[in-house]
Amino acid sequence: MEISNLPISPSIRSKLLSKGYTSLSSLSSISPSFLAQELSVKLEEAVEVLRAVSDTTTSKSAHTPNGIIPGAVTAWDMLSEEQMQRHISTGCEDLDAILGGGIHCKEVTEVGGVPGIGKTQLGIQLAVNVQIPVEYGGLGGKAVYIDTEGSFMAERAYQIAEGCIYDILDKFPSNSREFLSCKERLQVNNFLAGIFYFRICSYTEQIAVINYLENFLTEHGDVKLVIIDSVTFHFRQDFDDLAQRTRVLGGLSLRLMKLSKMFNLAVVLLNQVTTKFTDGSFQLTLALGDSWSHSCTNRIILHWNGNERCAYIEKSPSVPSASAPYLVTGKGIRGINSNFKRARIM
Amino acid sequence: MMDTEKEDFKSRLAPDVTPNRQLPWLTGIELLSDTNQNKHFLPTGLEGIDALLGGGLRQGQVTEIVGPSSSGKTQVCLSSATHVVDRNFGMVLYLDTSNSFSPFRISCFVNQLHPSLPKELKETSLQTIMSNIYCQSVFDIFALLDLLHHVETTLKHTVKLGGSKLCLLIVDSVSSVIAPVIGGKNSQGWCMMASVGVLLKRIAYEHNIAVLVTNHMVGGENGTLKPALGESWKGIPHIRLLLSHGTGNNRGTTTVLKHTLMASGRTANFVIGN
Repeated sequence: MEISNLPISPSIRSKLLSKGYTSLSSLSSISPSFLAQELSVKLEEAVEVLRAVSDTTTSKSAHTPNGIIPGAVTAWDMLSEEQMQRHISTGCEDLDAILGGGIHCKEVTEVGGVPGIGKTQLGIQLAVNVQIPVEYGGLGGKAVYIDTEGSFMAERAYQIAEGCIYDILDKFPSNSREFLSCKERLQVNNFLAGIFYFRICSYTEQIAVINYLENFLTEHGDVKLVIIDSVTFHFRQDFDDLAQRTRVLGGLSLRLMKLSKMFNLAVVLLNQVTTKFTDGSFQLTLALGDSWSHSCTNRIILHWNGNERCAYIEKSPSVPSASAPYLVTGKGIRGINSNFKRARIM
Repeated sequence: MMDTEKEDFKSRLAPDVTPNRQLPWLTGIELLSDTNQNKHFLPTGLEGIDALLGGGLRQGQVTEIVGPSSSGKTQVCLSSATHVVDRNFGMVLYLDTSNSFSPFRISCFVNQLHPSLPKELKETSLQTIMSNIYCQSVFDIFALLDLLHHVETTLKHTVKLGGSKLCLLIVDSVSSVIAPVIGGKNSQGWCMMASVGVLLKRIAYEHNIAVLVTNHMVGGENGTLKPALGESWKGIPHIRLLLSHGTGNNRGTTTVLKHTLMASGRTANFVIGN
């Protein structure tokens, strides 16, 4: 777009800039004689300049295979990529089913709910499940856990990792050679070593760690999941200027979207709830305001349905809204039916 | 006016008009016949919305869809992309700011298009349609401006070879990239928002493209929701539609907030297929 990048002599370039021609588009429809008159140069030199302009613009569009913009991919190519994509299991088969296989990579998923519903449990479960080796149907990747509230318990992560390994070995009891080599990797300590933990104590640290994540993820290319637990905590109490908060959060979410797309990983944000006065009554909605609700690709709301915990998909571009019950057990997040299966075998 | 008077008028105006100006002066009759012949309606694929808009998205105009979260904005964009390519209007460029472009969902829409086709034809039709929808992710306003400039330059210099030409440009959602920069003490953000608006309108008008953008809603007075991006953005789209949740899972209601040709306030129901 810039005149300064054209392969022309510096004297002609300075004449162009002093006459006000700064972009290629301003030169796109001038005749050579007019340009020669404007710049007080010879006609041949003006023709040279215009040829350089047209060469630059045509070479730019020639480099793009589709002729529109560089980097655009057709939906057909994306479809084949998407079909080969693995999803992160949540531990509960019903929830995986309504999510279309699990948590999607390259997307930002927001999970919100009342305190005690199991958000942190789900976060830790995902951090463990993302590490399930590829041979057992998982992604074989690592996780980044950004803790803002201090609710991550290493002992609980140990329990959940143990439960996950126990269930995998139960499901795949075969002793063939490839499974044997993976079995060595199925150690609880390996799973715990695969979770990179950041403890954040203020909103500035939160913004800083998200800015730093790009460098971190370039170094650690096997990270497939970033969890922020919770994204709300520091933004609820310290911010006086709500408009600025909205702007900062908007920028934050765009950066997370970019990270998820660039590094092909899933971003899961855990959110708290607040009450909102709509239609004459107070209702529970996710915190951080209306603008934030547009910043994620998917939204899952965890709520109580009587005595049961339920997950409801409120927003998703590819799956319809649906609800699924889940349990928080000693081994982690599980579906309703998995317990019954165990009981029947016994 | 007689022809000689017209020529005289034009020649008197000519010195004041910069020699770079490419767009010629047109009379009302010429504009009307151009509109009738060239400015087609591109279907969104959703009957209620197409009927409300008098056929669909107008070429040469910027249509904005506003709505609360999960009201169907992305689905309308995906459906429009599918139907426009299916009816051979040309290529579609989808600029995505929230990783919501779902190829799987597009394939669902394609499968609904011609349910009676045999399997092999369906597969080739799927590939043809999806190969004409281009998607690019945009995560900040500078990248968006850059991309739009590039699109404009490419369109100016492309000679139509009989292949597909860009006919629909979708930005989902334009408010995600603009909202973080506007507000605050600096007025730079408002300038950039205006630049985006002017660029979109220029691309739409000069190259006969329909532009579809989505916007989100923010809290207004008394707890009601209003479209984001403020008063300055209101004038930029030619047509504004408000989507709201309907009674069922895939149902919704559209209201016309602003239109260049018809009265606002008209509503219609629409259903998004599975």
